[in-house]
Amino acid sequence: MSARRNRKPRKKKTPKRSPQKPWFNQQWLDVAVLAAWSLTLFRYWITGKLFLLLHPDYMWLANGAAMVLLAMALFKLIKTIKGQRRVQPAPGHTTLLPPQISSLILLAVAVLGLIYTPRAFASDTAIQRGVSDTLTMTRSQPQRFVRQTSSDERTIIDWIRTLNVYPEPDAYTGQNVKVSGFVIHPDTWPEDYLMVSRFVLTCCAADAYPVGLPVQLAVSRQAYNPDSWLDIEGKMVTATIDGQRQLTIEPTKIETIPEPRNPYEY
Amino acid sequence: MEQLSNGLTLFFSLLVEAIPFLLIGVTFSSLLLFFVDERTLIKLLPKGPLMGALAGSLMGVFFPVCECGNVPVARRLIVQGAPASVAVGFLLAAPTINPVVFWATWVAFRDQPEIVFLRVIFTLIIAVTIAWVFSRQKDLRPILQNAVVRQMPQVQKKEQVNPLLRSGTYLLQTDGAAIQLDDPAAVLAQKPDQPLATKLQLVVDNMIQELKELGAVLVLGSAIAAFVQVAIPRDWILALGQNFITSIIAMMVLAAVVSICSTVDSFFALSFASTFTTGSQLAFLVFGPMIDLKNIGLLMTLFKPRAIFYIFILGAQMCFILTLFMNLYVS
Repeated sequence: MSARRNRKPRKKKTPKRSPQKPWFNQQWLDVAVLAAWSLTLFRYWITGKLFLLLHPDYMWLANGAAMVLLAMALFKLIKTIKGQRRVQPAPGHTTLLPPQISSLILLAVAVLGLIYTPRAFASDTAIQRGVSDTLTMTRSQPQRFVRQTSSDERTIIDWIRTLNVYPEPDAYTGQNVKVSGFVIHPDTWPEDYLMVSRFVLTCCAADAYPVGLPVQLAVSRQAYNPDSWLDIEGKMVTATIDGQRQLTIEPTKIETIPEPRNPYEY
Repeated sequence: MEQLSNGLTLFFSLLVEAIPFLLIGVTFSSLLLFFVDERTLIKLLPKGPLMGALAGSLMGVFFPVCECGNVPVARRLIVQGAPASVAVGFLLAAPTINPVVFWATWVAFRDQPEIVFLRVIFTLIIAVTIAWVFSRQKDLRPILQNAVVRQMPQVQKKEQVNPLLRSGTYLLQTDGAAIQLDDPAAVLAQKPDQPLATKLQLVVDNMIQELKELGAVLVLGSAIAAFVQVAIPRDWILALGQNFITSIIAMMVLAAVVSICSTVDSFFALSFASTFTTGSQLAFLVFGPMIDLKNIGLLMTLFKPRAIFYIFILGAQMCFILTLFMNLYVS
């Protein structure tokens, strides 16, 4: 009786695998871990959710990993079905965790990855990451300064980069602007200003940082909910918001758009 | 709810970015294990204290292993008679100074190339210095674990007992020496006899095993990084992370505790990029691959605690001083 009780919790953690022969069980667990991770990566690839996680330059790495993991899962599967034991336990690598625990953690996370759909960061995160303090600051030093782009082709990050190089807002007065981004209502700003913002990625969502431009509204900003996506056309002006002179958009047209498939800028 | 969703997104973004590099890392390390013979390599390396230290430190360029794979390789190097300078230099530098890690760091810190290059330079300085210090120890045996000493080629006074009289499984060599079969260092010796197909199967098996072990640590590390980003108030992190000194200490402690593999640790550090000083991120990237909790466990199979303590103290001090200099004068 007590023996059975001892075994139960372990059984729970290893779904659908019968723990009769320990090595057999471990082999199947390996197949499950590899297959589950491969599936998770394939799922992000096919559903396009990878855009929410990675910079497009590195997506081929994740896609490649999905294929390699699938191949490894098949290799392990064939070996396990053939009932072949490992020729020899490979020496060398030791870690903090015993192998069984490692496999279970990996399997659990892969299954979570199959269930969970990543979501783009929203205005809360932007405020928490200090979008208003660092309005005219990017983390990176600008690598290039493309003057020849016409002003209405600049994205939000292009504007911020241009401002980094030449910060005087008056220099841009009257220039056409056409940007899209999500809405933030900064607490310290008056009711007729909102910020149109984007997250910028260098590598992956872990280093996403927000950038934004103020928008001067004719009406209260309550007309545009935080996190809704807007396409804004207008002209640049200089406004004093919260005691700071800032380059601000005076919109001629504001249009609500659905969240883009790829919400970040790079 | 929002927090949880952000946390999970961060968590998966770290994992999805890191897993390909982990795969590349384990592929190389497994191929090396089964296809490279260190003995030939040792013969080619310079033996002098400083040149040996430098050569050992740069060997990672050809042996792209992370800090989980370098101890077994260093152990084989010592057993096969490499001088202390080479072995210690390799031990400390190989996890950082190798193409895979360099590439991963580049991917993560493209915007701050100084981090990528200083990571290599600082690691090289520290590794060469410590390896040089260790080269004063002409006979490594007093600071090595007995099990390693027993496998070393020259059997001296202390080791007069015939190896065959000890317990274990042994293979008798033509020159009268015995190789312990149930030991990683010796396993390599019998590999060349196996056909290529078997070897490749072993490689894949080894890859899967390493992937599981390192992957689990990666999962835990990513979870910590994601948690810190979403759950701890930004004010606290900024207070800790913007101070020149506390930021470095915090990141070094984090590096030692998290034990994340050097192939993927730059992505972990990346999540602190906007809140921590540049020097402290470097401290994480330089110190983590040299010494961490997981690594100490591995080092214990090679060195006596005294030697590990020296490596730890020297490495920590130099890393702290170099990155503090970086914080004060460079960035």
